[in-house]
Amino acid sequence: MKKVASILRYTILTLGALIMILPFFWMLSTSLKTQPETVQIPPVWIPKQLQWGNYVEAFKAAPFARYFVNSVIVTGVTTIGQLFTSILAAFAFSKLRFWGKNILFLIFLGTMMIPGEMLIIPNFVTLSNMHLVNTYGALILPWLASFFTVFTLRQTFNSVSDQTYFAAKIDGASDWRFLWHILVPMSKSTITAVTVLQVIGSWNAFMWPLIVTNDENMRTLPVGLQAFTTDAGTNFALLMAASTFVIIPMVVVYIFLQKYIIAGISNSGLKG
Amino acid sequence: MQVTFKDVTLSYDGKRDILKHLNFVIQEGSLVCLLGPSGGGKSTTLNLISGLLAPTGGHIFFDDADVTKKDALGRKVGMVFQNYALYPHLTVLKNIEFPLKMAKMSKADRTKRAKELAALVHVEDQLDKKPGELSGGQQQRVAIARALAKEPSILLLDEPLSNLDARLRIEMREEIRRIQRETGVTTVFVTHDQDEAMHISDQIMVLHDGHIQQFSTPKKLYASPDNLFVAQFIGEPVINSIPATALNHDLAGIVPDSILTQAQTAGIRPEALTLPQRALDPLVTLHGKVLEFDQFGRESTANIDYNGYQLISTEMSQLAHDTKELDFTLEKKGFFLFDADGKRIFGGDTPMVLVGDQSAQKDPAAAPTESGGDTHAE
Ligand SMILES: Nc1ncnc2c1ncn2[C@@H]1O[C@H](COP(=O)(O)OP(=O)(O)O)[C@@H](O)[C@H]1O
Ligand SMILES: [Mg+2]
Repeated sequence: MKKVASILRYTILTLGALIMILPFFWMLSTSLKTQPETVQIPPVWIPKQLQWGNYVEAFKAAPFARYFVNSVIVTGVTTIGQLFTSILAAFAFSKLRFWGKNILFLIFLGTMMIPGEMLIIPNFVTLSNMHLVNTYGALILPWLASFFTVFTLRQTFNSVSDQTYFAAKIDGASDWRFLWHILVPMSKSTITAVTVLQVIGSWNAFMWPLIVTNDENMRTLPVGLQAFTTDAGTNFALLMAASTFVIIPMVVVYIFLQKYIIAGISNSGLKG
Repeated sequence: MQVTFKDVTLSYDGKRDILKHLNFVIQEGSLVCLLGPSGGGKSTTLNLISGLLAPTGGHIFFDDADVTKKDALGRKVGMVFQNYALYPHLTVLKNIEFPLKMAKMSKADRTKRAKELAALVHVEDQLDKKPGELSGGQQQRVAIARALAKEPSILLLDEPLSNLDARLRIEMREEIRRIQRETGVTTVFVTHDQDEAMHISDQIMVLHDGHIQQFSTPKKLYASPDNLFVAQFIGEPVINSIPATALNHDLAGIVPDSILTQAQTAGIRPEALTLPQRALDPLVTLHGKVLEFDQFGRESTANIDYNGYQLISTEMSQLAHDTKELDFTLEKKGFFLFDADGKRIFGGDTPMVLVGDQSAQKDPAAAPTESGGDTHAE
C-alpha cells in the first residue's frame, strides 16, 4: 500500500516536472531549427541539423547589447531601491511605535487589491507630465516601492522578538544599527527570496517598458524580442534563440539561490 | 548603584494604573528579587528601572542622579531576557562583544574583555559556536556575559530561569548568585517562583496589584509577613489559613480580646503545629481529629480536622499511625492573625502581648518597620 502511494506520488511529480520543462525544451529545440521546421506538422522535436547560426543571426537582428545593458541597469536599480525602501518600511511597521501605524498599514494592504493593470494609465500620465517617458526614470521610478515586499518582510521581522530589539537597544545599538546589523542578517533567507523574485520580475517585465519607451535605445530585453515579429509574420527560430539568451541569466540566478527562495517563501506564510 | 523610586506610577493606556505610587530603595551591591504572581507588574517595574519604559508619574534616581528622562543606553543597564534574546547569526564571542563594539571599544580590547566574561560565566570553550548550538543553560550564561560586558550600573534579569528544566534552574540560580557576588553588581531579578526568590535574594520585593506588598529579607518575609497575601504567597506547603473565629474559643484568655475582635483570618505555618512533647514555645494546645497521615522518608504530612477546618502539619512524624484524635500544640512562631484588610495584627515581629503577661510592654522600637527599611540578615 505504502509502495503504491509512493509510486503514485513520484509519477505525479515526474509528470508535473515534465510539463514545467516542456516549454523550455520547445524553446531550445525551436531555436535550433530551420525556418520551415518551426511550423512543420507533425512537430519536429529534435531538429535534423542544429542551426547554431540562429543565435548569431538573432543577436545581430537588434541592438541586444544595448538592451542587455538597459535590463541590467533597470533590474539592478529597481531591486536595490525597492529592497531598501521595503526594509525601512517593514522595520517601521514591525518594531517602531508611531501614530496611525495600524491604519496606515491597512491602507497599504488595501492597495494590494488594486490590479496592476489599473495603475498603468495613471502612472503613465504622471510620468509623462514629469517628462520622464523614454528615460530610465520611467522604467525605474514606479517600482521603487512595493507593498508586497514590505508585507513579506514585516512578517519575517515580526518573528524576531521585541526582546531582541530591546536587548540591542540596551547594548547601545541605534535603530539603524539594529536594523542592518541584527534584523537584516537574521532575516537573510526571506530577503534573498524577495530579492530573487524581484530580479526575475524586473528582468522579465514587458508591459511597462513597452509602454514608456519607444526609443530603440531605451528598450529592455523582453521588449527587444519584438524585433522578430514583423508585419510579415514571426521568425520563430530567431525569436526562440533570442529568448534563450534573454532568460539564461535568470536561470543561473535561480539555480544558485533556489535554496533561499524556497525557504523564504515557506517562511513568510505566503504560498505560490 | 543605588536605585530609588519616588512615587512612581505607570499606566500603559492612560486609564488603568498598573503600578500605583511605588516607593523603594534598592541598595548598592545587593541582589533584589521582584516576586509576585503573573500580571503583578514585575516586568513593568524592571522595564522602568532599565529605561525601556518611562513612568507616567514620579521620579527614578540612580544614586543621586534623576534618570527619569534617560533611556536604557543613558542609564548603562545590563539586561537578561527570558528568551535570552541572543543574536542568532553571531557567534558566542561576537554576541558578548556586541555591546562593546557599539561602545566603540577597539577590537583587541573587546575580544580580551569578552573572553574574560566568557570565563566568568564558564562558556570559554564555546566561543566559536552560534547560540543555536548551545543548551538553554549555556545560552543563559552567554546572555549574562553579554549583559555584564559594558560593566553595567545595574544588572536586570526578567524571569531568566523559567525556560530551563528544574535541575538546571537550581544550578543556574546558584550561578547567578555566584556571578553577582564575584562582580558585586547591583542586581534585580524577576521571578514568580518564591522558592527561587527565597534562595538567592538579599531582599525580596513582593509585588501584587500594582503595590509593594512587602520589601524585606527572605527570612523576615517568611517569619513576619506584613499581610495575608504575603503569608499565603511565601512558603511551601502553603500556610494554613482559617477564619479567626474558629480559634476564638481556644485563644480566649490568651490573646487579648482587643486583637481577637479585630482578627478575621488566622495563618498557621505547617511547622507551627507540633505534638505537645516536641513543642518549643507553645502558645496554646488544641484538640482535633486526624484525617490523613502520610510519611515519606524523613518528611511527613498530617491532615488534621480542627473545628471543621483542615490544618496541614509537617511536624508530626512521631505520630502513631492509628491515632484518631489528638491534642496538638500551636507554636508562637509561625502563627499570625490578620485583620479584615489582610494586615497582620498578631504574630511575627509584633511583640506578643498576651493576657496576664506582666512583662509585656509595648516597645515602639520593635514595632513592625516600614517595608524596605531593614538590611540583609543571613
Ligand atoms: N505593553 C503593554 N501594554 C499594555 N498592558 C501591558 C503591557 N505590558 C504589560 N501590561 C499589563 O500590565 C500588567 C502587569 O504586567 P507585567 O508587568 O508584565 O506583569 P508580570 O511581569 O508581573 O507578569 C498586566 O495586567 C499586563 O496585562
Ligand atoms: Mg513578566
